[in-house]
Amino acid sequence: MGYAFSMWKNTRMIVLVAVCAAIYAAALIAFKTAIPLIPGITEVRVAGIFLVVFGFLFGPAGAWGLAFGNLMGDLFGGTFGPASLTGFLGNFLQGYLIYTLWTNLVPFADKVYEWKVKSRRSWIRYVIITCISSAASGIIIAVAVDALGVVPYTVLSKIITLNNSIGGIIGVFLLIAVYDITRGQLGLVWTDVMDVEVPVRRPRGPLGAWIVTAGVALGLLCNLIPGLPVNVASWLSAGIIILGSLLL
Amino acid sequence: MNVSLFQDHDSWLHRLDPRTKMIGAIILFAIILSFNHPLFMAGISLGILAAAFSARSLSALWKLRYILVLLVAFSSILWPFFSEGPTTIWYWKFLKVSRESLLFGIAMGLRLAAFVMTSLILLATTRNEDMTNGLIKMKLPYPVAFALSTALRLVPTFAGAGATIVQAQVSRGLDLESKNIVSRFGTLIPLAVPMFVSAIRYTNLLAMALESRGFTPDSPRTLYYEPTMGRRDWATLAALALILVVSLYLRLGLGVGVVMPGRM
Repeated sequence: MGYAFSMWKNTRMIVLVAVCAAIYAAALIAFKTAIPLIPGITEVRVAGIFLVVFGFLFGPAGAWGLAFGNLMGDLFGGTFGPASLTGFLGNFLQGYLIYTLWTNLVPFADKVYEWKVKSRRSWIRYVIITCISSAASGIIIAVAVDALGVVPYTVLSKIITLNNSIGGIIGVFLLIAVYDITRGQLGLVWTDVMDVEVPVRRPRGPLGAWIVTAGVALGLLCNLIPGLPVNVASWLSAGIIILGSLLL
Repeated sequence: MNVSLFQDHDSWLHRLDPRTKMIGAIILFAIILSFNHPLFMAGISLGILAAAFSARSLSALWKLRYILVLLVAFSSILWPFFSEGPTTIWYWKFLKVSRESLLFGIAMGLRLAAFVMTSLILLATTRNEDMTNGLIKMKLPYPVAFALSTALRLVPTFAGAGATIVQAQVSRGLDLESKNIVSRFGTLIPLAVPMFVSAIRYTNLLAMALESRGFTPDSPRTLYYEPTMGRRDWATLAALALILVVSLYLRLGLGVGVVMPGRM
């Protein structure tokens, strides 16, 4: 979690937050009413192709950029409300989990923070992390939105998970296209901007990664567990995800 | 793309300090969340509409009328199937609708519309710059406020660049009219790559420009426009706080305004 706060001392990272937020918000506003899934709450998110790319390339700046971009999308797309604050948290979490799980989700993790297009492990890691981070984001948003009485948890958690996972997986083509230019020519991958040789993997990192994964599994399958009410399981799942994220 | 919903009028809401409007919106959200009975929600929604009328901001609501209607309709249809009440009025196999869940659905639709109307009034009566200044005055760290205000300024720039790229690709034969969602997604990649690269190049230029002017994120700031809280601001906040206290007493003390007791 340390980099998510220390990045605010770095001018390039601050500018990256603004740029990521602006791109994400522009895409969200432009396609807000194109294909609505739950009007006013969620739609087919064309902007989803930026989720994993921003989280992976710009790390903490990407995570904050997604959070602010989503907030701006709500503000100027006409859907701002208390649920937007959970959207802020959920989108931040999605970006945060992408760059933290990349080096912590053993045995899929890699010690080197790199995207290798010819490595099968990179592809598998990308897909797994995209799905876990999308589900974590979906569960956190859906739990709060359900509590506010906006949309039921069981509907929204699945929609956001699927929506973000599909967008994120399609986003791999964008990552392939821009990775070399961002790292080689512009030097804007977050580990280079913040002079992080290799993101530190502390022993609690993999533990946090698997706690998040367990929380996600509970959140998605909670309506299949006999004797455990969905609202209890969903809050438990959200708590586990946040606990695991704090350990990363 | 114009991302500002601000409408330049001279109304009492326009003249309030941005902090009053932001804190007021939060208090109003809490008032909206205090009840789940459709009659109470309708009353609150009418009150918000009256505020929009007095601030001459009804045209901002009119712009988003379809979203508002969809919100009310969709929520009213969805919730009756996901909440349970004792008085069943219709059932079919595993689907059940009760009188209470139907009323709850209507209330939730009105609640969602009330949220949206509140935020629209805030945006229609407050400039983006005033909002950022208000956030700084409310102790939001300057680098965060700077990122937010820069992002607000960059959205139209990037949207304009995106429109140019779309026109360039369409003139080369890119089909954006396809009805198939999958093929629509597929056409986005050739659009997203140049948009992304041109935006990211901008990052280095902006960072260099800032650093050459001695920008340091941690240094203390002064503002050209210093918002000040006047008597009218405190009176507005006190009135809203009083309404919130009364609402909470009605809900928690007297159990009024509730159709589904276990829910917010």
